[in-house]
Amino acid sequence: MSGLEVQADRAPRSRPFSRHRRPRAAETIAAVLALFLVLAAVLPDFLAPGDPLGIDPLGAFQSPNFTHAFGTDESGRDIYTRVVHGTQYSLVIGVAATAIGLSLGIVLGTLAGMLGRIVDFTVNRFLEVLFAFPGLLLALLFIVIFGPGVATATIAVGISTAPGYARIIRAQLISVRGKSFVEAATVLGRTRWQILLRHILPNTLAPLFVLATLGIGQAIVWAATLSYLGLGAEPPTAEWGAMLSAGRTYITSAWWMSFFPGLFIVLTAVSATVLGRSIDKRMRHA
Amino acid sequence: MPTPIRRVVATTAGIVALGLLITGCTATGSNEPVGEPRNGGTLTYASGDAEPSCLDPHVGGNFPQALISAQYLESLVSRNVDGQIIPWLAKSWEPSDNGLTWDFTLRDDVTFTDGTQFDAAAVQANIAHLQDPTTLSSTGYLALGKVTGTEAVSPTVVRFTLSEPDSALLESLSQPWLAIESPAALKRSQDENCAAPVGTGPFVVKSWVKQNAVTLVRNDDYDSPPTDAAHTGPAYLDTIIWRFIPDSASRYAALQSGEVDVIDNAQPDTIVQAAQSDSIEHLDSPRPGASNRIEFNSSKAPFNDVRVREAFIRSANVDDAVSSLFQGTATRSYSALSSVEATAVSDPSIFKFDPAAARKLLDDAGWNETDSDGYRIKDGVRLSVEFPVSTNQSIPAEQSVFEQIQATAKDTGFEVKLAPLDLSSWYAALASNDYDAVSAPYTKVGPDVLRILYHSDSIVPAPSGYFANLAQVNDPAVDELLTEAARTADADTRTSLYAEVQNRILDGFYILPLYDQQNHYLVRSDVVGMRTLPTVAVPTLYDAWLNR
Amino acid sequence: MAEPVSRHPATLRGRLRFARTLRRLAVRLAGAVFVLWAVATITFFAVRLIPGDPALAVLGGPGSQASPEALAAVSAAYGFDQSVFVQYLAQLGRLATGDLGRSYALNMEVGPLVLSQLGGTVLLAVLALILAWVLALALATWSTRGGTVAARVGSGLEIIAAALPHFWLATSLIVVFSIWIGVLPPISTGGVAGLVLPVLTLGIPLAGFLGQVMRESLLLALESPFVLSARARGESERGVRWIHAFRHASLPAISLSGWAFGSLISGAVVVETIFARPGLGRTLLNAVTLRDVPVVIGVVMVVAVAYIVMTLATDALSRVVDPRLRLS
Repeated sequence: MSGLEVQADRAPRSRPFSRHRRPRAAETIAAVLALFLVLAAVLPDFLAPGDPLGIDPLGAFQSPNFTHAFGTDESGRDIYTRVVHGTQYSLVIGVAATAIGLSLGIVLGTLAGMLGRIVDFTVNRFLEVLFAFPGLLLALLFIVIFGPGVATATIAVGISTAPGYARIIRAQLISVRGKSFVEAATVLGRTRWQILLRHILPNTLAPLFVLATLGIGQAIVWAATLSYLGLGAEPPTAEWGAMLSAGRTYITSAWWMSFFPGLFIVLTAVSATVLGRSIDKRMRHA
Repeated sequence: MPTPIRRVVATTAGIVALGLLITGCTATGSNEPVGEPRNGGTLTYASGDAEPSCLDPHVGGNFPQALISAQYLESLVSRNVDGQIIPWLAKSWEPSDNGLTWDFTLRDDVTFTDGTQFDAAAVQANIAHLQDPTTLSSTGYLALGKVTGTEAVSPTVVRFTLSEPDSALLESLSQPWLAIESPAALKRSQDENCAAPVGTGPFVVKSWVKQNAVTLVRNDDYDSPPTDAAHTGPAYLDTIIWRFIPDSASRYAALQSGEVDVIDNAQPDTIVQAAQSDSIEHLDSPRPGASNRIEFNSSKAPFNDVRVREAFIRSANVDDAVSSLFQGTATRSYSALSSVEATAVSDPSIFKFDPAAARKLLDDAGWNETDSDGYRIKDGVRLSVEFPVSTNQSIPAEQSVFEQIQATAKDTGFEVKLAPLDLSSWYAALASNDYDAVSAPYTKVGPDVLRILYHSDSIVPAPSGYFANLAQVNDPAVDELLTEAARTADADTRTSLYAEVQNRILDGFYILPLYDQQNHYLVRSDVVGMRTLPTVAVPTLYDAWLNR
Repeated sequence: MAEPVSRHPATLRGRLRFARTLRRLAVRLAGAVFVLWAVATITFFAVRLIPGDPALAVLGGPGSQASPEALAAVSAAYGFDQSVFVQYLAQLGRLATGDLGRSYALNMEVGPLVLSQLGGTVLLAVLALILAWVLALALATWSTRGGTVAARVGSGLEIIAAALPHFWLATSLIVVFSIWIGVLPPISTGGVAGLVLPVLTLGIPLAGFLGQVMRESLLLALESPFVLSARARGESERGVRWIHAFRHASLPAISLSGWAFGSLISGAVVVETIFARPGLGRTLLNAVTLRDVPVVIGVVMVVAVAYIVMTLATDALSRVVDPRLRLS
C-alpha cells in the first residue's frame, strides 16, 4: 500500500507539453550538462582527443595543471580524458539498468494492478520476495555466476531495482483505476485496452519519470560499489565507478583521482533529476 | 638472565638495516634512547589478511594462520637472518649417512601450557596429526611428503624415517605450519582445537570472538625462545588483541589514530605516508619462497611457443611500473626466488624491455599480421592473453602494474584481458586451464619451493583441481635436477643444482618476475623490539614491549 | 467494497472488525511463509548455480590439498552426492525445523553465527534510518518554508547526498573526522563513538533519497484541496504543515522505509568492511566469496524475516497516519 495512491484527485493529462513556460536557470544548466554528457558519451574523441588508456608511469600522480586539467592517475593517464571517455560506460549503465528495472517493473506492476485479485496477490508476494533480498546480494550472485564486466553489472543492478518500480507502478495503477475519469471512460463504452493505453498508463507512468531520473544516479553509484568490491568493469576500462574505487586508495595523497569521477557522477545525477522534474512539471501543468 | 638493552637495539637496527639493503628505501626512525624493557601492557595488532577459519595451522595451512600462531606455537627448529637453521624446540639434529633417518634431540625443560610435557611422544603425535587425512592439512602434509614414520628413541630423541633423502626437511620443519602442539590438546575435537590450540609459545590463546578479535595472554612459564631471540624468559607484554581490518585505508587510519599498535599488509601509499611521520616505523620483511611473478601457461597457445613468451617479456615495461606505483617500497626482482633466499639466482639481462625485439620475435613466430585494432593475428586468431587477477591477493598497486603491462604489451600487439575475480572464481579459472598468464604467490622456506612450482608432477591437479605448477613447465632435465637437489645433503651441491634449475626456468622465459612477496609492517614508535621470524617472515611479539 | 458499518449494532460491529482483522492477519502470515519459502528456494538454487564443487568450501576452501578420500567423505556426510532436488528438499526440511545448518568454512553453527552478527547490523540500520528521516524532514521542511532559494539549495543537497557511494563517503568521513580533525575513531572498537561515522555513511545517502520523495509529496500535499480548505478554515500555518500536509507527505516515505531497510543491508556490506564492524553484511560477502551456502541462506532468511517485520511495521504506521487506509 503506497502513499502515492492517496494523492488528491487531479485532472488527467491530455496534452503532453506546454508551450507557455519559460525555462528556469537551473533547468537550462541541467539541459546543457545533459547535452555535454550525451556528447561525451557519443563523441568522446571530440571533447577529449587524447588516449584514455595511454600510460605514462613517470608522469603519475600529477595534480591538476595546464597539460592535465584534472591531473593524472597512478599510471600517468590523463583523468580528464578518462572521465570523458568513461561517460559512455557510466551513462549506459545508468540508463540501461534503469530501463531494465523500469520495464520489468512496468510488466510486473501492470500484471499486478490490472489482472484481478489472485494475480495481484501472487505478484505482490513475488515482489516482496525480491524486496527481501538485499539488492547487493542479487548483484553479487549474478556477477559471480556470469562473470564480471560492464554488461553483467548493468543487468545485475537493473534486476535489483525492478521490484521497487513494480511496487510503485502497481500502487499508482490501482489508484488511477479508481478515479472518476476512468469510470467515465468505461461508461462511455471504451474497451479495456483503450482505457488502459489512453487513460491509465499515461497517468500511472508520469510520477515514474521523476523516480527513474533519480534511479539513473543510483544505478551508477551501485555500479561503483560493485567496482569497489572488485566485481565491476574490467581494467583498464575508464568507467567512473572503477576510477572512483581506484582513486579511493590514494584519497589523501591524490584527491583529484576520486574527486573528478565522483563529481561527474553527481553532475549526472543532478542533471537527470532536474530535467526529469522539469519535464514532469510541464506535463503536469499542461 | 637479563639481556643488555644494547642487544635489543642492535637486533632492531639489524633488521631495519637488512630491510634497507633489500628495499633501498630510507626509513625514518626515532633516534632517542629507549631504556630498559618494561613489563606489561596490551598491544593491539590489526591484520589485513582474512580471519582464519581455524587457529590451528595444522588444518589447511595458510599465511593468516602462520601470522597469529607464531605467537603461541613453536617449531622444532628456526632460521636466523643469515639463512642458517638454528635450534628451537630441538637442540640438535643428526641425519644418518644414507639420509633416510633423522634423529632430533629435544629440549627436556619445556612444557605445554596445559601442563603436558614436551617430549618425543609429543612430536610423534604432531607428525601423526599432520599426516592424518581427517586433519585436512595442506601445507604441513605436503612438507612431510617423504616422512614415512616417527620413532621415540628416548624421551628426548625422536627419529624421523624417510622414504628417500630430503634436503628440505629442516627448512620445512622451521615453518609455523608444522609447529608442535600439545598431544593432549590434539586429542580434543577439531572444533575445540581450532578455537584454542595449545602450544609452548610465549603467549596463550585466551578467547576468540569470531569476526571480531582473538585475545592472547602471556605464558608466564615460558622460556624456550629460538637462539636468535633478544632475551630469554617470559614475554614482556601482558595481552595481545589480534583484530582483522580488511580495508587498507581504515587499517592505516586506525594505526595513525592509535587505535591499533601494529598493522601488516601495509600498502605503498601508507608506507610513504608513514615515512613522513615520526610516530610510525616501517618494518620490511619479504616472504621466503617464490618471488611475485607472472607465469605463462606453456601448455597451450599462444605461450606454448617460447618466442611468444620472450616477446611478451620484452614488451612489458615492468621497471617503470614498479618504481612509479610502489614509490620505492618494492625493488624489482629478476629471480624466481625471494631475495631472502641465499640460493636465489637473479639475471636482469634476460628481462630487458625491448619492444623492437619483441616485434621481431612475434614476426618470427608467425604472428606477423595485424588486425584493425592493432593486435597481432595468426591464421585468423588474435594474440590474446587471458589474465585472471585475484582481487583478494593482488593489492591495488599490483593490479595497476598489470594494467601498465597490459598497456605496453598492447603496443607490440598483445591483447591482454585482465579479469578481476574473487578468490573462488579465480581458483576455478586456474583449475579449468582457463588462463594464459597468472600471478600466484607461494610462500615456503628454502629453495625446495622450486620443486613444488616447476616439477612436472605439480601439473597433476589435486582432487580440488588445484595445481601449483601454473607455468606448466614440463622439462625432464628440470625434473631430474629438482629430484636430485631434493636428495642432496651437501649444501654446495644443492645450491648449484638449484642454480641450474633457476637458469633453465629463467632462460625458458616461463616467468616474468616482478618483486619480492611484499610483507610490510607498520609499527607505532612506542612499540619496541618487534621483529619478524626469519623463517616465513611472520611477526613475533615475544621481544616486544611498550615504551609508554 | 466494505459494507456500510453503521447499519450494524455495536457488538456485532466489534465482532466483524475482529474477524476482519483476524482474517487479514492470517492472510499476511500465509504470505510471509510464502515469501520465506521463495527466498530460501531462490537462494539455494542461485548459489548452486555457481560453478565448483561444494565439498571444497567445507575442506578449507579453494586451492586446498584435500585428498580424494576427504572429498568423498565430505560429499557423503553433507549429501552432495545426491541429486540437487533431494538436497533442496533436505535443506527445506532443515529450515522448517529451524535448523540453519552449519557453516562450511567457519566451523560454526549458522544460527548462533547469524544471531551474533545480527545485532550490530540491525543497530546500524535502525540508527541510519532514524538519522535519514530526521535529516530528510529537516531539509524538506526548511526548504518548503524558506522560499525558492532554500528550496533549490535543499533540493540540491538531497540530490548530491543520494549520489554519494557508500565507500567513497566512508573514506571521506574517516579522512575528515579521524585524520584531520581527529575526534572520531576510524574503526568501530565498540562504544558509541565508533557508531557515529558508520551511521552517517549509511544515513546520508538515504536521507537524500527519502528527502526527495518527501519533498515531492509535501509540495503536492500543500497544493491540494484539503489543505486549501484547512487554510480557509483559519488553521495556523504550523497546523496545516504538520497535521495535514505532513501526514500525507510522509506516506510514500513510510512505505519506502520498508524498502530502505533492505537497501541498508546492502550498504552495510561496504560499511562493515571499511569500519571493521562485525555484522551480517560482511558475513554475507565472505560467505558468497567462499561459496558457504548455509551461511548465505541463513543470512538471507534473517534479512527476509526482518524485512517482513519492517513491512508489517510500516503498514501499521501507515494505517495510524492515514485513517483512510483503515477501511480497506
